[in-house]
Amino acid sequence: MHECISNVNLLPGKTSEIFTQSYYPSLSRPHTIKDIPSYYVPLSPSSPLKPSISLNGNLVTDPASLPALFEKQPPKTHYEVQSFDCHVLNANFNIGAPEGLLEPNNAGKKMSIAVTVSGSVRYGEGADVQGFMDNLVLVPNWDVYGKPAKGRRKWIVMSQKFRVVA
Amino acid sequence: MVQLAPSAPRAHRNASPSVRGRGGIQKRKAGGTRVDKDGDLVMDPTIAADKRRAARSQLGGSGPSRGQGNGRATGGPPRGADAGLIKAQQAIIRGLNAKSSQANVLESRMTAAGTRLQIEGLSSSKAAANPDGGMESLLAFLERKASAMDTNSNKAVKITKSLKRGDLIIITAGPEDVERIKWLDNFSFAGATLSIKPYELKPDKVGDKKKEDVSPKAQETKEQLRSVLATRYNADLKLLDLSALAKDAGLIQMGVFDGTTTTSKIFPALMVVCDGLFKTRQEKRDAIVSVTLADNELSDVADVSELAQTFPDIQNLDLSRNRISQLDSLDSWGNRLRNITTLILTGNPIEPQLPSLQAELLKKYPRLEILNGIQFRTPEQVATALEVAKFPIGNAPPDFRDVGQVGENFIRQFVVLYDTNRSALLTNFYDDQSVVSTSINMSAPRGATRNTVIIPPWQPYTKFSRNLVKINNLPTQLSRRHRGSQAINTLWTALPATRHPDISTQADKYLIECNPLPGLVDPTGQSPRGVDGLIITMHGEFEEQNDKQEQHLRSFSRTFVLGPGGPGGPPIRVVSDMMNLRAWAPLASARNMAAEPVTAPAPVAATGNPQQEAMTVQLVERTGMTPNYAVLCLTETGWDLEKAFVAFQLNRVCLHFSSSIPSIINKFIG
Repeated sequence: MHECISNVNLLPGKTSEIFTQSYYPSLSRPHTIKDIPSYYVPLSPSSPLKPSISLNGNLVTDPASLPALFEKQPPKTHYEVQSFDCHVLNANFNIGAPEGLLEPNNAGKKMSIAVTVSGSVRYGEGADVQGFMDNLVLVPNWDVYGKPAKGRRKWIVMSQKFRVVA
Repeated sequence: MVQLAPSAPRAHRNASPSVRGRGGIQKRKAGGTRVDKDGDLVMDPTIAADKRRAARSQLGGSGPSRGQGNGRATGGPPRGADAGLIKAQQAIIRGLNAKSSQANVLESRMTAAGTRLQIEGLSSSKAAANPDGGMESLLAFLERKASAMDTNSNKAVKITKSLKRGDLIIITAGPEDVERIKWLDNFSFAGATLSIKPYELKPDKVGDKKKEDVSPKAQETKEQLRSVLATRYNADLKLLDLSALAKDAGLIQMGVFDGTTTTSKIFPALMVVCDGLFKTRQEKRDAIVSVTLADNELSDVADVSELAQTFPDIQNLDLSRNRISQLDSLDSWGNRLRNITTLILTGNPIEPQLPSLQAELLKKYPRLEILNGIQFRTPEQVATALEVAKFPIGNAPPDFRDVGQVGENFIRQFVVLYDTNRSALLTNFYDDQSVVSTSINMSAPRGATRNTVIIPPWQPYTKFSRNLVKINNLPTQLSRRHRGSQAINTLWTALPATRHPDISTQADKYLIECNPLPGLVDPTGQSPRGVDGLIITMHGEFEEQNDKQEQHLRSFSRTFVLGPGGPGGPPIRVVSDMMNLRAWAPLASARNMAAEPVTAPAPVAATGNPQQEAMTVQLVERTGMTPNYAVLCLTETGWDLEKAFVAFQLNRVCLHFSSSIPSIINKFIG
């Protein structure tokens, strides 16, 4: 029991860490930009779970259009995470959860997590280093919930607000 | 062995066998001056050549001479800067083995300790007991600590090479990294104090005796080069004329060309001498705005690659009548000459292609306005293009999608009450489930303020910082997450008092965004799928109270998740409140600069549904709000009449509460 609680406490931080350590390097490498949509809740008319993405104030309704946007970054763009923090918003997040999965999960696998990231970005060689803030809400990826993830992400972005702030 | 830039068609010079480099940058760095990450000139006090250098002077002697004789460490008789130039000119005539002294100038550049450091203290540390003598953990320690030293860099420090010599550890790293590692001098590592110094060859090492013999000659050569430069500097035009070097009488007299056209040999030496003339990058910027390299028979710029490091801020560059045939030929300068506004390439084979190469040229020279005498962009166009380059993924006004002004009213109250009455703020918006934490990003970029604004101490915040990049210990993580009004009150009592800019009159100090967020815990426990709330991010700054009567500014970002409150609590509660603190820097302004919209914005709700229209009428009747606003309110509350009414009521309460704040609809929303 104690073990279980400690795992649940670790989970939000670990999940956020895994996310930040993978997502921002992916934004920094041209060949991984095509994988960016996999970090997000997909846009699906049938699902009540919708992505909400705002990048420097521009709304992006479909994560599938993100690679086209990030490809505008100049070569050698580099994002660096310098600080992050997270809170569990709802330990039993249920939007888009399949019927029959509405019960809480004691291992924390149904939590939604708010993550704030503070970091720096250099848009291309020789450019000035700028500061960014990214605010995300991660939710369970129902497609792999309770199944082997097989390389797919267990938590995906439902809400994102990114801003270059300095 | 010195590794030359790959494109440099030169033989390897024989220098100290242990100096290693990574290319052009390092090659120059060894020369006695270096440019830090921002390109600011940093003098390396350890370089022998520098110690021997005579007083600094401005090129051409147009400015006041500075430094004078007392600035010298060792060497010949003292002389003032201008006098030095004259004497140096005379010295050219003196018979001197120019060939060997030329080599010595280069040698002294390359054997200098620019990119290596020697570290003492490992053997007395606890880590010395490790199987590898502690080497691995020392290097990891240095890389980690040094990476955290420079707040303007977003690249980690990397030690490229290390070796153990007795109790000394000798490490090699890039020039910027070396600068950062040097700051760790006197840091304690595993119980021992580290001594970090530039690596110096021991007196019994190769070449040193020879160096002592030849250094006066090297010095003499330097003086000669300085006099050549003096004749080529036009103080009125701030122009350094480096054209037709192979035909320069002074240089020919020195014998440096040795029958072949070896700009490659003389140019680096000239740049080293130039470097020595200026204390700071600003001095260079002020003295030299234009450089001409015309008539040097250059087929590429590898031989003159040092220009970009020595004068990264020049604005006008003339490459007329060389043999440049393609854009790649300029690659040796990389992207360093970013301030070029005028570029002249007339009389080069590349000339006819230039019109089609404009876009490519702009990548290298983002401020380029005039090419071969033709102005193709205005300064305003350049400014706009640069602004766009700062936001390649666009920059639009704040995305503020409020629900019935709940977000706006919360923010208006928050910024006032956090400064004046935190306990009232707690009562109004926080309950026993609210979670608050603070994280500090001490490395956040600061833009132009990095050299001008001193960062107030972080001490009042450090023991609360929940920056999970740094805080990996779970009990610490948990203790720095404050759940419930009481815990939050304790935190807020301990945090310094603040003063936020007035949100109505200084809206430009804020950037606030907001959108609905579904799936929050229903405090009544009725809805298994959760309830809707809002997520708000506020970027801004505040002034922090301190005992010294100084202005302590911080930049902050705060993310709030708002949801409906529970029974008996505030009607709207903060579910989560995360504050991120950074050294102050002006807030990047949001402009309408979306290069091209990625997706069309959501259409304004237009209802043709009779049921919805009936609801609208009812809401208008009950609240007296306009039909348009009623539709908005209903749309945002999912066409739930009761919810919409509650939202309206809450706002009325909020509006009443905040009536002392000017209630003009925020500028910050638009």
